[in-house]
Amino acid sequence: MKPPRFRYLRAESVDGALRALADNPDSRPLAGGQSLIAMMNLRLVRPACLVDINRVAGLGYIREDGDGVAIGALTRHNDVKHSDLVRARCPLLTEAYESIAHHTVRNRGTLGGNLCHADPSSETPAVMVAVGATLVLQSVGGRREVAAEDFFQGPYETAARQDELLVEIRLPGRGAEGWAFAEVSNRHGDFAIAVIATTLRLADGRCEAARVVASAVGEHAARLRPAEDALTGGAIDDAAIERAAEAAAGAVDPHSDSHADAVYRRDAVAALTRRTLRRAAERCG
Amino acid sequence: MTRERHYIPESRQREKPKSKYFAIGHSMKRVEDTRLLTGSGTYADDVSLPNMAHAAVLRSPHAHARIVSIDKSKAEALPGVICVMTGAEAAEVTGPCADFSSPPTTQHCIAVDKVRHVGEAVAAVVAESRYIAEDACELIEVEYDPLPVVVDLEEAVTSTGDAVLHPERGDTNVALQRTITFGAVDEDFAAADLVIERRLRWPRSGGTPIETVGATAHYDRGTGKFTIHANTSMYNYVGWLIAVSLKVDPHRLNIVPTDAGGSFGSKLFCHKVCTLAGTLARAAGRPVKYLEDRIDNMTSGDAHGSDRLYDAQLALKRDGTMLSMRLKVIDDYGAYFQYGVGQHGNAMAQVTGPYGITSVEVDLTAVLTNKCQQGAYRGFGSEVGNFVIERLVDAACEELGLDPVEMRRKNLIPKDAFPYIMPTGNMYDSGDYHAVLDEALGMIDLEGWRKKQAEARKEGRYIGIGISTCQERSVFSATEFWMWNPNETPGFTLSSSPESVSVNIDPTGKAFITLNAPFWGNSPETMAVQVLAEKLEMDPADISVGYADSDKGFNSSGPGGSRFTVMIAGAVSGAADVIREKMLRVASHMLEADPSDLEFRAGSIGVQGVPGKEKTLAEVALHAHYFRLDLPEDHDLTSGIDAAYVYDHPVTTMPSEDRSDLGIFYPIVGHMCHIPVVEVDVETGKVDFLDYVAVHDCGTMVNPMTLAGHVRGGTVNGIGSALYEHFHYDESGQLQNALLSDYLHPTLMETPVDIRVGHVETPSPFTEYGIKGGGEGGRMGAPPAIAAAIEDALKPLGVKVDSLPLTPKVLRGMIREAEANGGG
Repeated sequence: MKPPRFRYLRAESVDGALRALADNPDSRPLAGGQSLIAMMNLRLVRPACLVDINRVAGLGYIREDGDGVAIGALTRHNDVKHSDLVRARCPLLTEAYESIAHHTVRNRGTLGGNLCHADPSSETPAVMVAVGATLVLQSVGGRREVAAEDFFQGPYETAARQDELLVEIRLPGRGAEGWAFAEVSNRHGDFAIAVIATTLRLADGRCEAARVVASAVGEHAARLRPAEDALTGGAIDDAAIERAAEAAAGAVDPHSDSHADAVYRRDAVAALTRRTLRRAAERCG
Repeated sequence: MTRERHYIPESRQREKPKSKYFAIGHSMKRVEDTRLLTGSGTYADDVSLPNMAHAAVLRSPHAHARIVSIDKSKAEALPGVICVMTGAEAAEVTGPCADFSSPPTTQHCIAVDKVRHVGEAVAAVVAESRYIAEDACELIEVEYDPLPVVVDLEEAVTSTGDAVLHPERGDTNVALQRTITFGAVDEDFAAADLVIERRLRWPRSGGTPIETVGATAHYDRGTGKFTIHANTSMYNYVGWLIAVSLKVDPHRLNIVPTDAGGSFGSKLFCHKVCTLAGTLARAAGRPVKYLEDRIDNMTSGDAHGSDRLYDAQLALKRDGTMLSMRLKVIDDYGAYFQYGVGQHGNAMAQVTGPYGITSVEVDLTAVLTNKCQQGAYRGFGSEVGNFVIERLVDAACEELGLDPVEMRRKNLIPKDAFPYIMPTGNMYDSGDYHAVLDEALGMIDLEGWRKKQAEARKEGRYIGIGISTCQERSVFSATEFWMWNPNETPGFTLSSSPESVSVNIDPTGKAFITLNAPFWGNSPETMAVQVLAEKLEMDPADISVGYADSDKGFNSSGPGGSRFTVMIAGAVSGAADVIREKMLRVASHMLEADPSDLEFRAGSIGVQGVPGKEKTLAEVALHAHYFRLDLPEDHDLTSGIDAAYVYDHPVTTMPSEDRSDLGIFYPIVGHMCHIPVVEVDVETGKVDFLDYVAVHDCGTMVNPMTLAGHVRGGTVNGIGSALYEHFHYDESGQLQNALLSDYLHPTLMETPVDIRVGHVETPSPFTEYGIKGGGEGGRMGAPPAIAAAIEDALKPLGVKVDSLPLTPKVLRGMIREAEANGGG
């Protein structure tokens, strides 16, 4: 379980990292390395060159951004998990962290690296899509912003080009939104079997906007629009929740593996949709 | 039923249980802790020899295939590669691996001509680094001709032709088929009011320690001698078989044990890795280290556990009295058969459990399939028997409307019936099973939980309470390995399973104990120290422990079958008697008193009844070491104080010719009662523990703290077997979960907040101080108890538990089916 040969470049600045990525078309950034290195050891991925960004200054921060939060891409999971600012302004992410990995992995792993890795069973992409996060990408050619919904494109595939570095994650303020996260995994901290992240906004007792986002049951984290449609415009009562849960289960086309088959995953999507909607509705306002 | 031929040999116990001990029974901290917890242990990968090279193994992607050709030229051309060996090349210098099956089943350390499971070695590379060796493996080109793959154990029974793994054993994948009847089974079934029948599936899981198997081998051309450093066991028992494989005389192989980073049985022998490393070192002309990586270990570590399908019957009277059992079992042994059906010999030690059942019939079919072969795993087959009998008992309770506690109370063997000869001929030495049950019931608030269960059900929550009352046979005897063999090919019918130690008292009166078997994860040093401290009334801090290699070792079977504490207690006790006698003789001259008037006092030897007239152990030792001429002329009284002692198995008798009686072979029998309380999430199939009580009787406890650690660790291991662990082979024989991210052990988050442990002490009348083994118990009692708890939780849905593990997927599937059938 040793990786094949690769070149290692260590960047000292964002510009340096961007230049190294541009100069080496077969390179990948190395952040916390918690997924990448394991996959290299198994020879599942074989980047010819790694650009280590761990010493790049100015990429690890959590700060106010209007009524939302901006998080530097190199911020370690545990810093995000324990951030009061994140808890106040994006509690859905804080709640999700209860299910994300293990302490030692969270100490090294980064939120930005996790998002760029785009593991189809990862939790953070679902949260990003549910809260409508914006991801800021930078290359030697300049910066651009991509909505989380457009960022995740397939298993381990994102909108980021090879020469682009994710530099910042912007989470909008929550306002009066309700929120809830739930996951099924075999063991605590394992890869998820099913994930649902939900946000709800009510006006006069009626659902004004809803997001029901699934992960681990498709190629990437994605909104389950039929479930959202079943909620929007009506009261969030047991019947609506049940309709949404059924719609959610019908909207996914999950895979089977040795941990769970498609039938299990669909059942889990229904159960988690029910549970998250109940909690989100209670948290509205 | 008659047992005329049966006899119980006279006990060889010399140290009787005592009401007060000097060192035994104390929860002292482990002697091993400082070394291991500060990172000072020496594990397989810590061995480094001058000029050492590194090996990697190319493994088969096919479950069953002929090797048509191997082109290693590109690998050999890679800079840094020292040599590349195919199976055919290895077989020119090295014979087959050690194998205890009869007739034998041939396995090579690198496959020759044919691969029989995914992960089997096809070629090995020695290089300057492991990185280069792995790069080179990718450059070896192998052409395979796939053969039919056998993965289903029932289909294996009828395989013929190319689907047969070992045609030299005949045109079948049935490795062994035999039915043995103990007692009046037909009469008992005829007399029964009711026969319970269940089809039960015990899945393949295995001991998967953090540290894999590794060996660093050196071949000295000058002396023709191998030295192999490895995390193996049994090297002072059958280690010479590795020399036979390497085609040198046993005295030309020294096996040096390293610390083992866990075993759970899996490192019982590890002959293949040692043989491979030796073969490569001789070929490379340099020391070679080979350490399995996780995939090597999971796919080819030769340590998968039992994989059984039972059609099981229990015959009862309407009042719940258990009469007899019929067990028809198929066991999937995988591609090789290294220990024969030793696991079924083992299971016969306690096949009727703690119950007063008088007859049993076992129809065993062992099959070969395209999977990694079985090895030893905590329980060695008896844990499966416990699951089967407890499932039958619970099914009987359900059928007869009896309470699971009262049903057990009624059938447990009463305490005045010991020593008890059970139907297969094995002996249960002692016990008070009702006391264990009562202790467990006293620790768990059964009424309270029943009330909470009823309230929860009103809220749509599913809480369940399970119970198991199980045996833990300990101190294996070698006969278990061959008793099932066909009469025509009985194999090597050995009957010795000894354990040895040596003890040296240094000139300052402190002691060094040498064990002849390795550290493999438990507390052998602590056990040896506590027993020697007891015998010599010595401060435990004045004793240290080391491990002999095979050049210096005495006959020792090593840990396994929960035997080590009992056996080293016997050996230490025997050696200490020699030491005591010598010290008393020396002291008698120093004190001018008759040895029979002397006694050991804490740290000294003195004249009985004369306070102050004494010599410290240090004074006696110094005298014995350096002042020989002060002692009288006595040819027997040599300088120094040293002893070696070989302790043979305390009670073994041979099986009868027709095997209607297997003799006494696993006689030191503990007992346990496990009561878990679980909650099942019916929407996700997830299981949570709300409470857990485990009460064990392992005879006299040497160290209650380390024993409780064994019980808790074993229980967590059992939770793994019940809820998580399963080597998942697909239809093409691919192992789907060969990584620890996919093969799931329970972690702290999946285990009860507190596994509450209780103890009952019923000393054995056959072992020193009455000690019994306790290393495997948790895993032997937890799975049936958890299965029962889950079944109890889901009773409103009518879900029946017949197989393990109960993963969320499996459990949710059963619940979904029950809901569809109108349950709930």
